Amino acid sequence: MTTNKQLRLVLVTPETTLLDEPVEALRFPLYDGQIGILPGRAPLVGRLGYGELQITTAGGTKTYFVDGGFVQVKGNVVSMLTNRAQPARLLDANQAENELQAAQHLAARNDAELDRKFKELERARRKLALARKAH
Amino acid sequence: MAKARSVLKRLKAVRNIRKITRTMELIATARFKKAMDRATQAAAYTRKIAELAADLAASATNFSHPLMEAREEPKAGVLLVLTSNRGLCGGYNSGVLKLVQHRMREAAASGQKLILEVSGKRGLNFLRFQKAKADQTFTNFEDKPRYDEVDAIASRYIQMYVNRQIDWVDVAFVKFQSASRQAATVETLLPLTSPAATAGKPAGGPAIQYDFYPSAEDILEEILPAAFKARLFKCFLDAAVSEQIFRMVAMKGATENAGDMISNLSRIYNRARQAQITSELSEIIGGAEALN
Repeated sequence: MTTNKQLRLVLVTPETTLLDEPVEALRFPLYDGQIGILPGRAPLVGRLGYGELQITTAGGTKTYFVDGGFVQVKGNVVSMLTNRAQPARLLDANQAENELQAAQHLAARNDAELDRKFKELERARRKLALARKAH
Repeated sequence: MAKARSVLKRLKAVRNIRKITRTMELIATARFKKAMDRATQAAAYTRKIAELAADLAASATNFSHPLMEAREEPKAGVLLVLTSNRGLCGGYNSGVLKLVQHRMREAAASGQKLILEVSGKRGLNFLRFQKAKADQTFTNFEDKPRYDEVDAIASRYIQMYVNRQIDWVDVAFVKFQSASRQAATVETLLPLTSPAATAGKPAGGPAIQYDFYPSAEDILEEILPAAFKARLFKCFLDAAVSEQIFRMVAMKGATENAGDMISNLSRIYNRARQAQITSELSEIIGGAEALN
């Protein structure tokens, strides 16, 4: 078992590495619900959901919105691969509202489209909720 | 008199050109550094995705994915051509377009349908000249390709591939190997090669037993499209970096040539001026002698 009490979070998007810093604890959405990570977590690979990533560091907590992707915990390094991640305070509630509207108007004529619509709805709702919470 | 003056005029023109090419070289150098930074930053994602996919593939042995299945008789495919919007970058575009032409002939000979998608004005102009039709064109990719834009293209390919409208996706671009080595290549992105095969064995140590949420197969199913998108994005980034390198080299050559030309022309000018003075002097002397 690792006795190191420090986790390291590496948050990468296809364009850049957003964060690479020591953290104390993490909370973020997996595909089916929230998960919390503390130092000494067994190795894990998971699919991310949409929503709030809460980072607890020695200096306080930070929140980000993560937009799907994957997470890997290996030793004490947590790598998160996501298409998009934004600090929660930069989220725009109006814009999130528009995205929700757009998602509601998506046509769903077959199973694939229905899946996509639900996904988009979920995503927009999470974003909106987080945007409202942050302000 | 007339000759010296015309040489002087050319000399001025060449000096101006040298100023411009030197500036362009400096700009290309600055852009190259930026593009390079972007490419290295993006590499972290690609590397991590590949690593994850390999780890997953080790756990899910009998795995097949629609993006991985190779078609027995490929009939139609996409050739995505990445060229630059702007010229003055040496052999950057011609290298790619030569390969494209070759590929087009091959496809025509074997009766396969080739869907051409072209990014960059230079490639478009070339195809127009060849009287070939591009099915999709993009001119929005400059030296900073954005992931969102690439994502849209990649998603469309995935859709087409899964629906069996296309049997392969090739990308023709200038691959960045190192700062001093770039080569025009055609890379096949789809069908995907199996992640286990490309990653090879992890160096040393027993494989880590991961907890999977959800199962390894389910995650793999999601990660393969992401891996494809990341690879396509890398192609765009590579092309952007290579373009700046080519432009840098071309403009460096142009500046040097202009310098050579300037020294050549100033020698000619000095000679002409000297000759003119000599002939004037001899005229004066000749005139003075006639008076005596």
